Amino acid sequence: MTGTALDAPLVVTSSSPAHRYWRRYRAGIVFVLPALILYLAFMVYPFFRSIYFSFTNWNGVTAVKEWIGFGNYRELLGDDLLWLSLRHNLIWVIIGTIAPIAIGMWLAILLWRRPKGFTLFRTIFFMPQVLSTVIIGIIWNWIYNPVFGILNKALDAVGLEDISRGWLGDPDIALYAVLVAAIWATIGFVFVIFLAGLQNVSKDLLEAATIDGANAWQRFWNVTVPQMANVINVVVALLLIGGFNVFDVVFVMTQGGPANATEVIATYTYKEAFTQNHVGYASTLALVMTAISLIASVAFIRLRERGDA
Amino acid sequence: MSAGAYPMPGESLDRVTPVAPKGPYVGRLAGNVVTYIILIGFLLMFLIPFIWIWSSAFKTSREISQNPFALPTELRWENLVQAWTVGRFSEYMLNSVIYCAAIVAGSVALACLAGYGLALVPLPGRDGLMVLFLLGLMVPFQSVMIPIYYLLRDTHLLESYWAFIVPGIAIRLPFGIFIMRGFFRGLPPELGDAARVDGANEWGVFRNIFLPLSVPGLATLIVFQFMWAWNEFAMPLIFVQRDQLRPVSLGTMFFFGRFTSDRGLIAAGVTLSMIPVVLLYLLLQRRFIEGITAGALKS
Repeated sequence: MTGTALDAPLVVTSSSPAHRYWRRYRAGIVFVLPALILYLAFMVYPFFRSIYFSFTNWNGVTAVKEWIGFGNYRELLGDDLLWLSLRHNLIWVIIGTIAPIAIGMWLAILLWRRPKGFTLFRTIFFMPQVLSTVIIGIIWNWIYNPVFGILNKALDAVGLEDISRGWLGDPDIALYAVLVAAIWATIGFVFVIFLAGLQNVSKDLLEAATIDGANAWQRFWNVTVPQMANVINVVVALLLIGGFNVFDVVFVMTQGGPANATEVIATYTYKEAFTQNHVGYASTLALVMTAISLIASVAFIRLRERGDA
Repeated sequence: MSAGAYPMPGESLDRVTPVAPKGPYVGRLAGNVVTYIILIGFLLMFLIPFIWIWSSAFKTSREISQNPFALPTELRWENLVQAWTVGRFSEYMLNSVIYCAAIVAGSVALACLAGYGLALVPLPGRDGLMVLFLLGLMVPFQSVMIPIYYLLRDTHLLESYWAFIVPGIAIRLPFGIFIMRGFFRGLPPELGDAARVDGANEWGVFRNIFLPLSVPGLATLIVFQFMWAWNEFAMPLIFVQRDQLRPVSLGTMFFFGRFTSDRGLIAAGVTLSMIPVVLLYLLLQRRFIEGITAGALKS
């Protein structure tokens, strides 16, 4: 695609097309190029590399990566631990989406009118959000401690000794115990987003509904919620995607145990990749996570476009 | 829920009150009391765990197990000193400062340039590039973590600070570019024309006209990237192998595993690692909250 004889007469200056192209777009290229190079090297290239790994049974050590076609993908179907993990993710997504939204909405509405102490409440509710998950995890590990944890101490104090136990050691309870810690840390985020969303809810409509005799619940459900639909959509999407990808809090609190009772797909992928060195299969698991995330994102964008139209 | 627990919105109370006389005055007062009881209940739910940990930092292990709710009998600073020295929090903190400075500076600078380029400078395939960057927001870290690990291993970066810095900048670029491009698109592009007529080149237009205007956007982005870099756990867990190079989030976890039985020391370590972010949050809490809200609602 070099300049041909036909082009030549059209060019008034002596510069070649490549040169003109460079002069015209030089600024744009220079602005974008540094970010693009880093992004290509450490995001795009690794992504395609993951796809390649997923077709091999590489163990991270050998020089040769043996191509096994769809072998890893066939293994997914019969992998009980994967399905168990996905079930835990599903539980996580359902409870971990509904609970923060319900509580966050409740708090946002209670503070909507900015009563006395508004800033104090907002500051404290939001605080877990600025902390590392490691800190959240350790604090809740302590709360659940069977010997000195405040949960058991509190239950003993009110005469409910029968309920107290080692919360994270009980396979039937552990997943929900970790989930409660995660919900506790997420409420502040949802609350703050809803508080911002409520600023756009028409107060005139609410007044009108009050005059028409609507009670508090009716006003909430029929007037406030429809006007908040977009904001609720955003929060649902973020919590859904976050729930399928959850890693930190589970890893810090239980590392997937006891006996895989809190294994989720991200902790399972991590173990396959970095403790079992099943690099090929772990890459396949990572792509399953990617597919779920992308499907959720695209579904969400579609839903939003329909809502805006 | 009682009627008063769901308050009517609106700062203009005089206007609302005559229209919405919900029951007698006593009823509304009771509603307010109920509201505050609920709010204070939640406040305690969020506050007690923190107060417990902070006060435990001044206690011995025995005091912690005997009565968790009691305040410390005397202020023992030994735990905090021990965590700082023996627990190596001094090193972890310094490492986190290094990581944060490098990742925030790198990702903000590159995202600012690229965001400007993609918003206001002519470039073929601009929209395609933007889609490529936005895809980075949709894929989970797991989709790139394994090859990045081997890439770092083969380039011998695994044993250095770069192991977290370089991929950290890369993975934060999509978000940064998204925010900065959105910000620059909100500015009128004609602002640059006058300078161009005066003979400024594209870099001059950016440097003298648009960069100063982008300070609010940059400030929001810096807060975000700082919080991410300070708190990030998975990436250093996988890429940072040597204890001397661990940032404070990861260091705290290994510290927790190492000293499990010394509860006062654990509490001191957790308290230490919270101090910088909590202070920053209390100072800049409006910026934090507005940034989070804007980030979530725009994306």
